[in-house]
Amino acid sequence: MKFLRNILDKQKPQFQKDGKFENFHYLFEAAETFLYVPNLVTKKKGAQIKDMIDLKRMMMTVVIAMLPCLLFGIWNVGHQHFLAIGNSASFLEKIIVGSKVVLPIVLVSYTAGGLVEVIFSTIRKHPINEGFLVSGMLIPLIMPPTIPLWQVALATVFAILIAKEVFGGTGMNILNVALTARVFLYFAYPSDISGDVWTYYGDKTELISGYSGATPLALGATTVDGTNTDEVVSLFDQYSATINQDGFYSLINMFIGIIPGSIGETSTLMCLIGALILIITGVGSWKIILSVFIGSYFMSFIFNLVGLNQFMLLPPEYHLIIGGLAFGAVFMATDPVTAAQTETGKWIYGFLIGILTIIVRLFNPAYPEGIMLAVLFMNVFAPYIDHYVILANKKRRLNRATV
Amino acid sequence: MDDIINLILKSVFVDNMVYTYFLGMCSYLAVSKKLTTANGLGIAVIFVLTFTAPLNWLIQENILKEGALVKYFGEQYANVNLDFLQLLMFIAVIASFVQFVEMVIEKFSPTLYGSLGIFLPLITVNCSILGGSIFMIQKDLTLVEATAFGFGSGVGFYLAIVALAAIREKLKYSNVPKGLRGLGITFLLTGLLALAFKTFIGMSF
Repeated sequence: MKFLRNILDKQKPQFQKDGKFENFHYLFEAAETFLYVPNLVTKKKGAQIKDMIDLKRMMMTVVIAMLPCLLFGIWNVGHQHFLAIGNSASFLEKIIVGSKVVLPIVLVSYTAGGLVEVIFSTIRKHPINEGFLVSGMLIPLIMPPTIPLWQVALATVFAILIAKEVFGGTGMNILNVALTARVFLYFAYPSDISGDVWTYYGDKTELISGYSGATPLALGATTVDGTNTDEVVSLFDQYSATINQDGFYSLINMFIGIIPGSIGETSTLMCLIGALILIITGVGSWKIILSVFIGSYFMSFIFNLVGLNQFMLLPPEYHLIIGGLAFGAVFMATDPVTAAQTETGKWIYGFLIGILTIIVRLFNPAYPEGIMLAVLFMNVFAPYIDHYVILANKKRRLNRATV
Repeated sequence: MDDIINLILKSVFVDNMVYTYFLGMCSYLAVSKKLTTANGLGIAVIFVLTFTAPLNWLIQENILKEGALVKYFGEQYANVNLDFLQLLMFIAVIASFVQFVEMVIEKFSPTLYGSLGIFLPLITVNCSILGGSIFMIQKDLTLVEATAFGFGSGVGFYLAIVALAAIREKLKYSNVPKGLRGLGITFLLTGLLALAFKTFIGMSF
């Protein structure tokens, strides 16, 4: 590794003030700090910083936490592909098909977003934003595998530009960048991100009989208008039986995530592994993750009691594992920039996300998946929640103080 | 009762005055720099809308509507339609009511009065107030529903303005490009917030 350091040291003067590539200083800095921990030493006087974990390393932790989801997603895309066309395939074949679909999306998202990022940092003379490491990875994970690549690029550029860079970059944005990308696509090109887009068929048009690619949420939504009075769980079983995959939509299968869906969001198990990494390293807030789950469990329990249609009667535990709830709770809601900052605020914020998710799922036939919009909506109100938590804190302490 | 709750929820979230109809933008943009002021204005709007909607409903039903004059002056007025006076009457009602609210606030909370400043009289021309009354007529509501609708629309405006104000307070620490500072970024923000509010569009409670 010594030679890498040597190269960097040799090139450094060129990128510093009055050097040949002065304008690209931040590009160089990004590369350097990406490879090596910055060699800053805190001043002798004043606050001392012992740990060199900076934003870059923090963001890398999140990316590492997402890797299980990504890897599982790659396999699952391949698996669903062969399932739909009715061929059996080896593990390797599934991985190959999955990689062929997923890796270009990841690549496009990183390239398109990185380009915007570099242009901005060069013109505005600020360091390259580390937050992009995460957004660039999150965006592919919440896209359906069939998404056209140009849309990925467009959405990424839009999100990085409008949702982040105009506010000054990482740490200053209001809405979650990855979610903005998805919501942008959702409203701009709805036909490419809803309906039967969750399985990659390739150029095969011959699907196995009865296969519709319906996700559990879509199956549940068919009962909302009250004409379909079958229990949702039995609908799951029926669907599994029609495609000759017993237990396809069983609780355990959906928990592991061998179901169609966005690339990285299907597996609750992998999300929980990611959550574990985030919590242990202290990067993500366990309060938010937990309260999202509690909120959605609570709300679906309430609707169980109301029970106007079959979808409302779906047992609460199903709601926790179908759709992208786990992924949203672990990777979206915990975004430290857009979430509530105060500790009490985090509980309220997460709880409301959970509640809202279930409400959108049950009442809004237009959007089968609620977590995306619920997180975005609570992003909007996070500063408001914080404000009142801080006010309450002040008031409490003033009351305690005896002057 | 269900209908009323439904109507309130709808007018708060689905038919949000600011993010769906883009009404009341002037005060929404101008008074959202500080949360406390925005809070005051929001509450004033809730108050005014809740009372002007039913007031205007009464005027519409008893005076302006086609044939409404029959009960006072007899059959020959059956064809008289005073709808063309709608705008005029509604604004007059709103203006006098706002004047009244202003006096109340001045009396009971001088600080709030001071911080609202010119914007309280400006509620008179706040399009969301007039919009509330006109929508209420268009939707053909009953008196109770009209009150609920006015209240819901007010709450919707309140939510919109406090959300923006809280965000703008946070935005002080952001490094917005020079050309976008101030209103520019606020317009962009409004667009983004409207995107988030699309959560509820198409929802049927």
